[in-house]
Amino acid sequence: MLPDQNPVIEAEHLVKRYGDFTAVRGVSFQVRRGEIFGLLGPNGAGKTTTMEMIEGLRRPDEGTARVAGFDTQKDLKKVKEIIGVQLQSTSLFELLKVKEIIRMYASFYPHSVPVEPLLDDMILAEKANDRVKNLSGGQKQRLAIALALVNDPLVVFLDEPTTGLDPQARRTLWDIVLKLKERGKTIVLSTHYMDEAHMLCDRICLMDRGEIIALDTPSNLIRGLQTDSAIEFRIRNREEYTPDQWEDIVQQLRTVDEVKRVDTREGDYVLYTNDLQKTLVSLIAKANAEKWRLADLKTRTATLEDVFIHMTGRSLREE
Amino acid sequence: MNAYWQLTLAQLKIFIRNRQVLFWSLLFPLFFMVMFGSFFGNGTSVSINGLVVDHDQTEASRLFIAAFGQQPAFSLETAENEADAMERLKRGDRHIVIVIPRGYEEKLNRWTENADSGNKEPVRIKVYYDQTNVTASQTALAIVNLIADGISKQIVRYTPVMTVEQEGVQSLNLKYIDFLVPGIVAMMIMSNNLNGVAAQIASWRERGVLRRMQSTTLKASTFIASQITARLLLNGLQAVIVLVVARFVFGTQVNGSWFTLLLFVVLGTLAFMAIGFIIAGLARTPESAGPIAGFLSFPMLFLGGVFFPIQNIPEFLQPLVRLLPISHLTTALRQVMNVGAGMTEMWPEALNLGGWLIAAFIVSAFTFKWE
Repeated sequence: MLPDQNPVIEAEHLVKRYGDFTAVRGVSFQVRRGEIFGLLGPNGAGKTTTMEMIEGLRRPDEGTARVAGFDTQKDLKKVKEIIGVQLQSTSLFELLKVKEIIRMYASFYPHSVPVEPLLDDMILAEKANDRVKNLSGGQKQRLAIALALVNDPLVVFLDEPTTGLDPQARRTLWDIVLKLKERGKTIVLSTHYMDEAHMLCDRICLMDRGEIIALDTPSNLIRGLQTDSAIEFRIRNREEYTPDQWEDIVQQLRTVDEVKRVDTREGDYVLYTNDLQKTLVSLIAKANAEKWRLADLKTRTATLEDVFIHMTGRSLREE
Repeated sequence: MNAYWQLTLAQLKIFIRNRQVLFWSLLFPLFFMVMFGSFFGNGTSVSINGLVVDHDQTEASRLFIAAFGQQPAFSLETAENEADAMERLKRGDRHIVIVIPRGYEEKLNRWTENADSGNKEPVRIKVYYDQTNVTASQTALAIVNLIADGISKQIVRYTPVMTVEQEGVQSLNLKYIDFLVPGIVAMMIMSNNLNGVAAQIASWRERGVLRRMQSTTLKASTFIASQITARLLLNGLQAVIVLVVARFVFGTQVNGSWFTLLLFVVLGTLAFMAIGFIIAGLARTPESAGPIAGFLSFPMLFLGGVFFPIQNIPEFLQPLVRLLPISHLTTALRQVMNVGAGMTEMWPEALNLGGWLIAAFIVSAFTFKWE
């Protein structure tokens, strides 16, 4: 199903300050009906704050947000009726049963969907009579998404839905998100996993320090790097050189054939290139000449991680 | 309306499934009752153990000893010799040792036989007592004096010129547990509601439970109303259970109507819950909610007449004490249970609690935050 081009969410110059700290610095974007829109960035980039301003949970200091034409400050009740929210750190009533808590949340809305099919969709039917505290991390997260769907919302907000889950549970959740899209839901999803963003999102809004640094489809973002491959390695005898000489090493690496860009991170080197073979041959020759002992050499295609490093000089993941 | 019932039902389920909280919040007041009830339960009647050494061994001395048999809670045993008796007194086995001297009957007879004979001297009964146990020995001495006085009066054919008639105005026979149980119920109402509401709401806020609800169309007033309903049902029920146990297991008196009693339980529950909502609004973290609630409730425990009568509080604190909701709750519960007071006498207490209730709910409505 192709996304409808009409924007269902319009964020205009959203600003949020906490005292002296500005968490979100003028964020504007539009989300089209039926797409999965990703907010990708490291912790503290302002993803959650941005989402919560659109959900009406936080009041922006500047700017406006509209969902399906309803202003999130003036028509909050209307907005709440058409959105479903899964918060980053929701804890639910641990002593209630799955079915009970879904029924309770359903009662908060004027209109709600039947409980049983919702449980089936979220693969929770078997757990319907279990208490929330006995659910696994993945099941709890699926329950949180079920609660976000009880009012049959137009837009679903998922704030880091897979953080802390094991790979199996993440994959299950991805399938669920993709099925929601098939059913025509618009989804706004925040994550700090680039693979997740790449896999799920139609468009990605790359955020850092409260600002948008890029907004495009995943493939366009990577294409923007103008390189398609990366070579990673360490220099095992790097300790024999003084820190001053380390800079010389980087200079030397820049002269390797076809290298577009060199990144270093704590002794790891990344060379970006469009011609993997030429660069590799040239790199090995140079290493021999300079008596570098290369280790952990690997090649890969460029990812969103590289896009982020390229744009911010920092990694998505905090070390 | 559906949301209100669902939330109330959910809250009740959470309460009932949280066995530990349920168990301890009921056990605590019952434990207090057992403790204080059995230690001080019969505080008004001290039972006395005495020994008597009868050196006279006559009809008259046996009559004297028999007179003690009519004194309730005074058990008197005969000891063979004085040294033995003194030993047991010193060990603390006995409270008192009475020694009837040789020639007791003979001296007594001199008073009755020839009333004008000059050879009259008072009969001396010797009493040894343990001054480390003041209550028991004072009571014992009073009883011995009473009996000696009685015999004296009988012998000299004394007609009292003046008598004192004793009559309790309330015509009640109250024990310490009768004083204590209303206090414990008031304490329970205060701590369950004030501390309970503050801790739970603050913890829900911290864990994002409230934020999640805020993102739905649920209204804050619906949420608060359901909280109040569920807590009123549960905490009210707990108070009633404690009252019923106190009444039928410990024999605590309930002289007033159960309806009035229940009315004050409800009023107290609401008033303290409202104060709990204020604390929940003020506390930034669940960790700070506990100490804030403790800071308010702990002094109230001691000033509000839970364990000691309010009259025992120093004069300069009295105006403060008279403002505290707990003072009025303990007074009301006590008057209803002990004295059997009804609404006609208790309306100032109801007014005070109602005032707290309204004021606190207005303040909490302004201070309540979802996050």
